[in-house]
Amino acid sequence: MAENTVTHQSHRKTLKLIKLQEQLTGYLFILPALIVILIFGIFPIGYSIYMSLFNWQVTKGPFIGDKNYLLIFGSWWNLLVLVTGLGLIILGYFVWGKAFQSVSKGGRLARIAGALVLVLGGVIFVTGWGMMYETGNKDFLNSLIVTIYYALGTVPAEIILGLVLAYILYQDIIGKEAFRMIYFLPYITPSISTAVVFQIIFSSRETSLANRLIGFFGIDPLKWRFEPKPVLRLLGINVSGLADGPSLALLTIIIFGIWSFVGYNTVIFLSGLGNIPKEIYEAAEIDGGSKWDRFWHITIPMISPVTFYLTLIGFIGTFKAFNHIYVMRTPSAQNSVVTTSLLVFDRFYKANQYGVATAQAIVLFIIILGLTLAQNKIMGERVFYG
Amino acid sequence: MDNSAALPTLKKSKKEIHAGRILGKIVLYLILLMGALIFIFPFFWMISNSLMTLGETITRQLLPKVPQWINYKEAWDQANFSKYFVNSVLITLGTLTGLLFTSILAGYAFGRIDFKGKNILFGIFLATMMIPESVTLIPNYLLIRGNVIPLPGGTWINTYWALTIPFMANAFSIFLLRQFFAQIPDELWDAARIDGCDHLRFLIQIVMPISKAPIMTVLLFGFTASWNAFQWPLLVTTRDTWRPLMVGLYGFVQEAGPYTHWLMAGAVITIIPILIVYFLTQKQFTQGIATTGLKG
Repeated sequence: MAENTVTHQSHRKTLKLIKLQEQLTGYLFILPALIVILIFGIFPIGYSIYMSLFNWQVTKGPFIGDKNYLLIFGSWWNLLVLVTGLGLIILGYFVWGKAFQSVSKGGRLARIAGALVLVLGGVIFVTGWGMMYETGNKDFLNSLIVTIYYALGTVPAEIILGLVLAYILYQDIIGKEAFRMIYFLPYITPSISTAVVFQIIFSSRETSLANRLIGFFGIDPLKWRFEPKPVLRLLGINVSGLADGPSLALLTIIIFGIWSFVGYNTVIFLSGLGNIPKEIYEAAEIDGGSKWDRFWHITIPMISPVTFYLTLIGFIGTFKAFNHIYVMRTPSAQNSVVTTSLLVFDRFYKANQYGVATAQAIVLFIIILGLTLAQNKIMGERVFYG
Repeated sequence: MDNSAALPTLKKSKKEIHAGRILGKIVLYLILLMGALIFIFPFFWMISNSLMTLGETITRQLLPKVPQWINYKEAWDQANFSKYFVNSVLITLGTLTGLLFTSILAGYAFGRIDFKGKNILFGIFLATMMIPESVTLIPNYLLIRGNVIPLPGGTWINTYWALTIPFMANAFSIFLLRQFFAQIPDELWDAARIDGCDHLRFLIQIVMPISKAPIMTVLLFGFTASWNAFQWPLLVTTRDTWRPLMVGLYGFVQEAGPYTHWLMAGAVITIIPILIVYFLTQKQFTQGIATTGLKG
């Protein structure tokens, strides 16, 4: 008995020692990565916040508190109005959505209430935006609109084209591998190099490829990358104000963006399609569903987690996009192609206003965070997980 | 698919269905081919223009009459590519070495070792993937310039370290390897431990040899990211000393403006290494992102 407890105790001791050793090995193994990520990935966030509170131009100046942020918003009151509007929109959206689920009598009432809140939120949001535009930083707010145009111009198109190509490739196709390889090519080649070709193709010369192509359809040569006018106005549709749409120069960059990212979506969708159980399709075939029915009622819902993921990655990506926009922009396109990430870079690199630039970068970061959360909530509810 | 043959009550005859199917297939192939054409065309245009005379590029011929191979030599010399090319190769090699070292170790620890705070740390690592470069760029620039903490040698602007060290670890690579390492059966580790193996030896002698595919994926993504990098190198190289190819090409674009044939030759040169690596390893490449499906 006594001997037994002794060995038991020593066992426990060695076990403890082994566990301690495990812990140490674990920390030791992640240490190199931790150091790099801590210094170059996490520390900068804190330091950015710190910098944004100073009048920092190349070197640190006096502490100015929220001045850099006030330059963006005009006043905190403006921001409060804007955020209130946004909050009401979200609230209205949820009431509306919930009301549709319930079939009870109160449902209709709740739906009306939801719609009212939604409209009210929209009005307050637009008012807040207007106030901010009046007294805040117009360049920054414009860059947000440009970024949103860019995101809305690229992400949905990339998703749809990627899904269509993947769905076709998923059938019995000869040369599947070759097609996949070609589609993926633009994604891995350096965007600086491919953007140079797009500059040539979409140059403002009358003989440029893009101009000759539209010439076939009897359209006069356009200035493409150099055209700051909105596409809609060029088409003869006059929408004044904020909603006049992307400029032709931005559209050129959007085309490049779609070209380079569709292949990535195709490859991811293709692997997602491979994960859908074959039995479901077979069952549907016996039930007599057409190919189109099967695509619409099986593929689309079953692939929705992948769609959700790609949309999220796509939107974050457009808010981070820099290289190809920087290379493809022209002075004559003015700020119609300056997305927020470019604006921040210009503030910092050209204007040397480090404090202002970091404040703008942090606002951009918060917008990305908010967008991610919102998409998680809104799309996450509709995603069908097996 | 061939179930239809077993159902004799179908209205259409087999022949009709067959014809319809072939027609459908043709449409599908046409769509695929059109897509392929659109994806390939800019590359074709790049190569064809790179072999033209200046006159031909202006009149926009589709193909050069006589391929002007001399354009490549001229672009190479004018753009100082011999310097930038070597720089890019060395930067990529250095970054990849560091990246493999950090991510294999960390991926193993997150996948196979139990330690306190593991999940929280892993979550923090993953969260860094969402941070836009706009936020990290400015503090990192000051850091590299030696303004935040004193650095050996004063400033790291225009040094090899500035271009490699910040990219020697990333959450994506760690995540990718962790997913694979975690799936390795515990029996292997138990057997190795009985033989007196510790974690490091187990990692080097057993885990790494069976993890060639995911390690390859990390290498390939690391390669393209490092080779294609632009914003950061533009910021931290003010002289030719360590300027990489992409920044060199950008400078060349600014200078060579209307000389399309040289620009295109320059662009082709910068793409060739990526193409070679991609064609050699494209299977792992596409499978790599397909299985992990995670990349911004």
